[in-house]
Amino acid sequence: MDFFWVLGAITFFGIMIYGLQIIVVRSTLLASRDSGGHATLSQLFPPISILKPLKGLEDNLFDNLESFCSQDYPEYEIVFSLQDGNDPAYKVAKKIKERFPDKNISIIVERCNRGLNPKVNNLFPAYRYSNYATFLISDSNVKVDKHYLRRIVPALDNPEVGLVCNLIRGAGGRSLGSIFENLHLNSFILGNICLLDRYFHLPCVVGKSMLMRKKDFEAIGGLGSVKDVLAEDHFIGEKIRERKQRVVISNYLVNNVNEYWGLQKFINRHVRWGKMRWKIGGIRYLAELAINPVFISSLPLFLYGLTREVLSLFIVACGVRVIGDFYLGRRIGAPLHPLSYLLSPIKDLLIGLIWFVPFINDTVIWRGNRYRIGKGTRLSLCQEGSEAWRYRLLDAIKARWV
Amino acid sequence: MLLCDFHIHTTYSDGSVKLGRTIDLFGQAGFDVIAITDHVVNGDNSYGKLARKLKFSLREDTFGNYMAHVREEAERAWGRYGMLVIPGVEITKNALTSGKSAHFLLIGIEEFIPANWSYEKIFLEAKQQDALIIACHPHHTSEMTFIDTLFLWNNRDRYSRYIDAWEIANRDDVFNVISLKKYPYIAGSDFHRVRHLYSWKSLLNCKKDIESIKQCIRSNWGVAITLFRN
Repeated sequence: MDFFWVLGAITFFGIMIYGLQIIVVRSTLLASRDSGGHATLSQLFPPISILKPLKGLEDNLFDNLESFCSQDYPEYEIVFSLQDGNDPAYKVAKKIKERFPDKNISIIVERCNRGLNPKVNNLFPAYRYSNYATFLISDSNVKVDKHYLRRIVPALDNPEVGLVCNLIRGAGGRSLGSIFENLHLNSFILGNICLLDRYFHLPCVVGKSMLMRKKDFEAIGGLGSVKDVLAEDHFIGEKIRERKQRVVISNYLVNNVNEYWGLQKFINRHVRWGKMRWKIGGIRYLAELAINPVFISSLPLFLYGLTREVLSLFIVACGVRVIGDFYLGRRIGAPLHPLSYLLSPIKDLLIGLIWFVPFINDTVIWRGNRYRIGKGTRLSLCQEGSEAWRYRLLDAIKARWV
Repeated sequence: MLLCDFHIHTTYSDGSVKLGRTIDLFGQAGFDVIAITDHVVNGDNSYGKLARKLKFSLREDTFGNYMAHVREEAERAWGRYGMLVIPGVEITKNALTSGKSAHFLLIGIEEFIPANWSYEKIFLEAKQQDALIIACHPHHTSEMTFIDTLFLWNNRDRYSRYIDAWEIANRDDVFNVISLKKYPYIAGSDFHRVRHLYSWKSLLNCKKDIESIKQCIRSNWGVAITLFRN
């Protein structure tokens, strides 16, 4: 039973960290109001090129793209880039362009295979085509309000700032996978981004929204330097910091719209993100399990059965999580049904299981090829060799399970 | 080419997505033309009566509301997405055997047509209303939980003159018998759930108005099918 108390202590440690995350998110959001006030006073709004790499139909793609066409900002262009004219997103991009004839919108269809990262490949033509000295990389599943550019651009007034990225709010949720995704974005991801930035001065760059100057970007090697990196956003952030420039996480929340995700998509994304964090963070990745109090407190259920102490620990952890996530959700204005928060503990149990996957598999599959994720998430083609049987076995198990 | 889906169900019958959400789902995905075709089930056998009891069918008393709502949403879809929405129904003549079951779409319908009328009477009334008549999933399908609807195919010599087009592909199934017979064709998703968005669709090379679309399907010139995948 001694081990139970160890797990209990870790659970309470996780709860304390979670409480700290809530406090940090709250103060970060309050600070956002201040910076927003200054931002509107700023007179310097340089023209911006918004680069939108498109691939497939994201949930609510039409609304997401449209939200960038209604920006209250003096001068900007939008460059939609696709690898293939048969991509279903092409038709949506065309409709958006027709809907806003007075906006500077371009659609670039060009196949590019310069690297192994598909998003970066998609960005090469868009970047080349873009006209302005300041550019914004924005994912297609992001929706913003009309003040977005006005709120984030003034941070670049300071020449010491090399990159501005944003906090994310999971929005939507009409299926189990998307509810899990949004709960996770609004608690674990949001909380950790704020916590690491505030207390460890480690800004986590999430590629949903990245604003940069071209001269700074090219000084770190441009797109060519990240073409074979899976976590290109993190890599860009690191390189900017190595140049002694600051990475600013704007407290303007961008909506990451996840409406109809299946459970499989949720699992796939977090397996991939887990592998990236393991490769980036190394030993620090181990701490992630400790800050998942629901999963840690569930372990005694299997080890010691349903005793009063074991059950109490688990219920407390679940209760804290549900209430905390509900509070955070309300705080950031997440459009989630209140009953969705009851699913938080189940999501955490699943995330706890996913946490182990990076230790047994360090590859990703793209266009039928398997790539190994190396140090710093650098990708390399996985050759058929002595270990190939292992991947085939894993694929077979996964396919059978699905 | 216009990206079209002429076979869509909502919660007005046995679909799982409400009408407004369905419109948004297709509009957000860039569709040009869709037809909302909820079931009108025959009530002349126990199978049909059960479907009506479970509200899996439009009835004469609910048809007015349905049409008004579809028209309202059609207006919204046109303004918001530039997407044409055509009201329709799927006449659903269910029986206990596949040889006696038939489903067909009436697209562009104006007035209610009961499913328990005779085939000829329904077809003539639909023609009167200038609705398109499309035979749905006319051959064996891969659906395990679904009784095939083979009546129209088995009696094609008698009824094909009334039918404007046959579904050559429905959701994930392709019916090569339609091409072998050289019948006019379209494809539809038989949309009931969100995941059915990704299925066979029609591409029409015509103007985006209801008359041109009817003409295009009837002449079957400039019609193609595509498997819509993400």
